[in-house]
Amino acid sequence: MTADMVVDARWLAPPGPMERVLHALEARRRGQPLRLLIHREPYPLYELLSARGIEWQSRRLADGCYEVLIGGEARGA
Amino acid sequence: MQRGGLDFQQAPPLDVPLRFFLTAPLFLFCAGLLLFTPAAWDGQRWSPALLAAVHLVTLGFLAMAMMGAALQLLAVVAGTPVARPRLVAGLVHGPVALGTLLLAAGFWLSLGWPFYPALALLAVAVTAFVVAVVASLRRAARNATVTALAAAVFALAVTLALGLRLGVTRIGGAGPEDFIGWVDLHAAWGMLGWVFILVAGVAYQVVPMFQLTPVYPRWLMLSLVPLLMAGLLALSLAQASGRAWPQDAAMLLLAAGPLLFAVVTLHLQHRRRRRVADVTLDYWRVGLGSLVAAVLLGVAPVAEGHTPTLVGILFLYGFAVSTVNGMLYKILPFLAWFHLQSQLQVGAGSIPNMKEFISDGRARRQFYVHVAALGLLLLSALAAGPWRYAAAVGVCLSALLLGANLWGVWHLFRRQGGRALSA
Repeated sequence: MTADMVVDARWLAPPGPMERVLHALEARRRGQPLRLLIHREPYPLYELLSARGIEWQSRRLADGCYEVLIGGEARGA
Repeated sequence: MQRGGLDFQQAPPLDVPLRFFLTAPLFLFCAGLLLFTPAAWDGQRWSPALLAAVHLVTLGFLAMAMMGAALQLLAVVAGTPVARPRLVAGLVHGPVALGTLLLAAGFWLSLGWPFYPALALLAVAVTAFVVAVVASLRRAARNATVTALAAAVFALAVTLALGLRLGVTRIGGAGPEDFIGWVDLHAAWGMLGWVFILVAGVAYQVVPMFQLTPVYPRWLMLSLVPLLMAGLLALSLAQASGRAWPQDAAMLLLAAGPLLFAVVTLHLQHRRRRRVADVTLDYWRVGLGSLVAAVLLGVAPVAEGHTPTLVGILFLYGFAVSTVNGMLYKILPFLAWFHLQSQLQVGAGSIPNMKEFISDGRARRQFYVHVAALGLLLLSALAAGPWRYAAAVGVCLSALLLGANLWGVWHLFRRQGGRALSA
């Protein structure tokens, strides 16, 4: 099982978190999930992922930050 | 836990907020032009030119920009975008623009007939906006920004109702007793209810988001709206009943809310994580300083006869225009980047970053002109002199530079292959 690639985007100003996720999507192995840590719920990121055909699931952590698991095959990847 | 996939589309198309942001500076420019009028400062707050300029700023610039931002933010912050955003934008933007121009013409030229179409257009626009936002907010999870948006929209509706009543008087209808008191009430609901509460509600999100400050404390987010609403209701009761005690309570509440907000925001900005020079941060500092000065001057007037005009300039141009101007420098480049990335789906780093959409240099030059204009406006309120023409030049130039910077974002977006009219 492929380990998650962790992207820590906490306390980055927009659009820094999305840029890091996009970099990671290019760098990851095919099918490797990303685990994003971010300090606020990233609604705009959800839309970018949706446009690329990438599924995600998010949850709020105890410290108020969010963890977003980004996985699935990218369309055309 | 939230799960999403292929059909997650929340943000409205770029053309929805864009039309508001790109046209707003034009109204600020027109307000500046009116200040060249020789009699603009005669009679201060009641001069036709100044009345027209105030409404160009409050409706044409502030309401225009804030409505565009609200339509955008509901999707990003609350996760509940406005339904049929293009229809709503069409019902709001055009009528606000045309209605504001007609209203300003009516004030400036002391004509009655422009008020008929102006009031009708503004009523249509504000009603459409209020209905659309309320429908969206009803689906949103409760948080401080959602509460503030709801309160601000309610205040906008009250401001409109009072404005319509006063407008009917201008046309020749029977006016209420104590006309000036009702004008002050209209201004209070508009400035403190609509403008201030909306700026605060938006700040709860964009200040931590873009300036990397700690989040606002819960006690402030829970108390600010009740404080302001209680104050405005007390003021309304005082005006309707003629009693003094609600007025005193209102002054206390309406001073406390903005002061607390200003102090807390400045404190949060002092504790931000990355201490880099930022024009938006400087706009906030000027804005919050002006807010504090406006409140203190409002409760302890020291400039006999000039206080209402000074308070108006400090609040409208010093606080509201500054903070909105600063926020536009973050919101529009972010939207341009986001929509470009969404449409083109290119690799990271292939499209301009936010600083390439509006450079720090250009933003800072416009900031300096804005601050100079603010100083000259305050001086103009205190004494006659050639600085009054310089103030007009400053306001016009600042608006032109802001407009050029914002249109530059749009121009670069298009050059990169972006489409405003995306699905």
